[in-house]
Amino acid sequence: MSRNSEDGVAIRASGVEQTFGDVNVLSDVDLTVDRGEIAAVVGPNGSGKSTLLRILAGLDGPVTGDVEVPTDGGVRNVGFLPQQPAFRQGFTAHDTLAFYASLLPEVGSDAVTDTLDRVGLAGVSDRAVGSLSGGMIRLLGLGRAVLGDPAVLILDEPGSGLDPAMVERLFGVVRTLSTGGTGVVVASHELAAVQTHADTVSVLDGGGFVASGSPDALLAETGTGSLSEAFLGIVRGEAGESTVRSGADTDADGDGRRSTRDSQTTGVDGDE
Amino acid sequence: MSETGSGPNDAAETGVTHAEDRGSETAARSRSERLRSDLLVVATRELRTIARTPALLALSVVFCVSVVAVAWAGTGGRGGFVPLTLDLLTFVEVLVPLLAVAFGYRSILGDRETGELDVLRTFGVSRLAYVGGVYLGRALALVSVVVGTLLAVGLSVPFLTADVPTFLAINAAADSGVRYVRFVVLSAAFTLVVLAVMVAISAAARTVRTAFALATASAATFVLGLDTALIAGLASGVVSENGLPLLLALSPNTAFRGLVLSTAVGVVGGAEVSAGHPLANAVGLLGWWLGTVAVAVWRIWPPVDGFDR
Repeated sequence: MSRNSEDGVAIRASGVEQTFGDVNVLSDVDLTVDRGEIAAVVGPNGSGKSTLLRILAGLDGPVTGDVEVPTDGGVRNVGFLPQQPAFRQGFTAHDTLAFYASLLPEVGSDAVTDTLDRVGLAGVSDRAVGSLSGGMIRLLGLGRAVLGDPAVLILDEPGSGLDPAMVERLFGVVRTLSTGGTGVVVASHELAAVQTHADTVSVLDGGGFVASGSPDALLAETGTGSLSEAFLGIVRGEAGESTVRSGADTDADGDGRRSTRDSQTTGVDGDE
Repeated sequence: MSETGSGPNDAAETGVTHAEDRGSETAARSRSERLRSDLLVVATRELRTIARTPALLALSVVFCVSVVAVAWAGTGGRGGFVPLTLDLLTFVEVLVPLLAVAFGYRSILGDRETGELDVLRTFGVSRLAYVGGVYLGRALALVSVVVGTLLAVGLSVPFLTADVPTFLAINAAADSGVRYVRFVVLSAAFTLVVLAVMVAISAAARTVRTAFALATASAATFVLGLDTALIAGLASGVVSENGLPLLLALSPNTAFRGLVLSTAVGVVGGAEVSAGHPLANAVGLLGWWLGTVAVAVWRIWPPVDGFDR
């Protein structure tokens, strides 16, 4: 596999498997995300989204499989936004990011100010984190994740618990970041925002991807009008048998972008 | 968040390959330089956090006031440095572990609960840098409180001491500020050891309840446990008098007490104080410190091949 970014890959996972005790959480999962691409991972609760994201972020090692983030000479490879980010009290938003920036001496002295500006928190730079709203906390977490301009961002349910306007704002920031060349892997239940902003959507269920493609492709294949309906159909097997994918990467929807694939053949209802 | 600790079982088959270097500039930095830099950044934040934590500041004030009150109300201060040492020894043995619980038991667990540990790992912070930084920052704060208080109290002795020692000294030369400084230095060492225990507990525990229970149980065991066990052992004949000096080195409290009695007190009522074997006590303290720091680094988070340091 290529170890440089000339092929435009931000992160590549191959054959990832994960078990917790006797429970097989992930089975032979493949995922390739290009630089500048927003790849959404959706699935029922307990389907393994967070587990997959932790493996992609390098926080847990898979039982088998490989995850590769090709180097591009940047300061940092992976930025991670956990579910429900929290910060130490008593510090301002600026001080909080300044601590993390101190761990990256290669970044410039303006990195903190620039980052706060990028995520839309320039106006609250001097406010204590304890006085920030939930949405602002999430944006601050996103700012922390993008410090050092990592090649790929791993976002675990960034919209969880936020109102629709803040979800849209947050995803808008993510889209702006991706246009700068950052690859993004986002797990989310906010399907409306995913439909609007994601380039590819992969449905994780039963330990593997049961469907993947651009939002429009999934809607077309399931004959539904929204990603929510498509998701329900895929997961519950109510939309027929046409959502199955297998084999190598292909450009199935003809938009010139590589789709995320699994290497497992599954039926619509999850049967193998 | 996964807490089951599953990880790569076969380095040959598995791998999370994140580009080894964080850029060409980073590649040039040595590992030790990186470790020192990250450790100091983390330690600085710990100090700032403590300064912003009212509860810890209040406990520090309570400790200071208590020690000053003991020194003032007792006869020790008026009797000289050695009597003051004897007056304060028990208080240090009891209060320092309690302070260490407050300063240490959530020091790492708090970051684990907020997901901060995971985020720090994505910044390439090593386990040693993080644990070392947390410990260093907390240790600087706690040792400053303990040593600062004891030194301040010690400075009052020359102003309080009567012409004739009222406590113990047959030979006036037996009482000197040097002995008290030894007590202060040993108190600092004792503080470092018990704090290391609490930080290790914080690193190993996965819930606040578990951490608090282990921390308070440890403090209680140090303060009372070994003494009680040894007394019971002696009474029942299980513990021999010959083995007592080495057994006293097993607990940080008894080891600390033994070192203070043998090096900072020395003579009481004309008789040399029997306080265990000084070398064994010193080794005991050192062993506790090294062992608990190692446990903290080991338990903080599982290493991931190809990614973690």
